Amino acid sequence: MMTTFSIKRVNAIFVKDWKDLQRNSYVLFTLALPLFFAAWLGRIGADSAEMIAFPIVFALVIAGAFVQAAMVAEEKEKNTLRGLLLSPASVTEVFVGKSLLSGVMTLVVVAGCIWLAEFTVPSLPMFALSIVIALIFFLAIGTLLGLLSRTVMETSIIGMPVMLIFGMSSMFKSMITNEAILTVMDYLPNELLMNIWVGLENGAAVGESFLILTVWAVVSVAATVIVYRKRRMD
Amino acid sequence: MENIIEVNSLVKSFGDKLALKDVDFNVRKGETIGFLGPSGSGKTTTIKILTAQLAATAGDVRVFGEPVHLLKDPARMKKIGILTDNSGLYDRLTVQDNLALYADLYDVGKERIRNVLEMVSLTDEERTPVKKLSKGMKQRVTLARAILHKPALLFLDEPTSALDPTTTKHIHEGLRELNREGTTIFLTTHDMNEAEALCDRVAFLHDGEIKLLDTPQNLRTMSGSPSISLLLKDKTTVTVEPDESGAAAISGYMASGNLLTIHSNEPTLGDLFVQLTGRNL
Ligand SMILES: Nc1ncnc2c1ncn2[C@@H]1O[C@H](COP(=O)(O)OP(=O)(O)OP(=O)(O)O)[C@@H](O)[C@H]1O
Ligand SMILES: [Mg+2]
Repeated sequence: MMTTFSIKRVNAIFVKDWKDLQRNSYVLFTLALPLFFAAWLGRIGADSAEMIAFPIVFALVIAGAFVQAAMVAEEKEKNTLRGLLLSPASVTEVFVGKSLLSGVMTLVVVAGCIWLAEFTVPSLPMFALSIVIALIFFLAIGTLLGLLSRTVMETSIIGMPVMLIFGMSSMFKSMITNEAILTVMDYLPNELLMNIWVGLENGAAVGESFLILTVWAVVSVAATVIVYRKRRMD
Repeated sequence: MENIIEVNSLVKSFGDKLALKDVDFNVRKGETIGFLGPSGSGKTTTIKILTAQLAATAGDVRVFGEPVHLLKDPARMKKIGILTDNSGLYDRLTVQDNLALYADLYDVGKERIRNVLEMVSLTDEERTPVKKLSKGMKQRVTLARAILHKPALLFLDEPTSALDPTTTKHIHEGLRELNREGTTIFLTTHDMNEAEALCDRVAFLHDGEIKLLDTPQNLRTMSGSPSISLLLKDKTTVTVEPDESGAAAISGYMASGNLLTIHSNEPTLGDLFVQLTGRNL
């Protein structure tokens, strides 16, 4: 299907989305949310590892998944995706360009959160790797949400469960007594991330968590590709 | 002559609704062909199939000599331009930024943006965000985008439906110019004047079928001989045939000083369409 991959076209999409983002108050506001949250945690001086890691996970969900979903859904809602796909740009180029922008913005927000919440990064290379793998997962989930929604409004509705499960599940942990559910929760990407960060700090083994996180990333990308192909002939 | 589009026995159904029933036609390199038909006749459906946005239910559709589903390849997409009623623009971006994106995607220089904006009379709006433009202005930006890369084959779905007569005329000149430079144009319209002004050949589309396909001139002569209307001084109208009896009648009225105006009732494509289908455009 895809015969060529043009960096120039990916860059054109990236630049367009960057210009658009600067004028998109909904997306700017959404990107700012985790920062406010991190700043607040920094001020109250929260020091439990989970509390401090939370804004980073929150940033990944909000900036990675929600913003990406809104951007994809808007391209469908406003009929601009069709125009792109009728140009020489391929589907891959369009989504890579878009994901690059959301990815860069997410990294900026994550860095901002770390700084504002005064989180001490355990081991930078490993920490960065965990963020990148998680970012791929959340961008894929965001793209998937965007493809499943018809409008930007719908992304925030369909996105709610995603937010609760992948963003805030740690918060409900203390309320859950069912062992089975708790075990399953340990395999969620956000829990894996926390495991990795705590493990990096204490010198515990993190290989298995990394592996499972990578499986999540691969599966989510595959799911997104499959859903796109199914929806193609609308 | 070389055919750029070849369509044989094309059928398209949506569920049990037949939108196109056995359509056949070819488009020759360098011509401007128009599909003229009322709302719901299948014009947009035809364009969508020709641009691989919709799959045909049955039949053979070839563009640039290849089955249409192979169109989606960067090198081939560079050769076509498309304007449809649902071509979206980026609201928050300026006209310039919208076109700059496509200039990069099509690999054409940014200086071309000025040229196309001139053609659609929008040079003053270069820096205006699209959301501040009127409907007709947006349509013109979309048209500018479709011709940015001087495509070999241009699809236009009702290109001037939201425009005033002066702008329409200016755009028609631009399209003729583009056609002279080698662009083959496939357009749909329900405006018979547009079809006459631009097209080398016109197809009458009705209920998903091509009723006639010929040059505007040939089509006009098919609708019978024109009559002549005379308006007399007493405000009555008399219609005569353009033959000896008509000539005698006219000279009679002229001699008696009764004649106010003479009007020749050239048959229009619209008249023929009504004769053929019993339906107005
Ligand atoms: N996606 C669709 N699902 C079901 N029916 C459709 C769809 N698209 C078009 N049709 C039907 O196919 C027929 C032709 O529609 P089409 O849009 O091609 O008409 P058109 O000539 O472009 O009309 P207009 O001048 O109003 O744009 C119509 O009867 C329409 O209801
Ligand atoms: Mg139409």
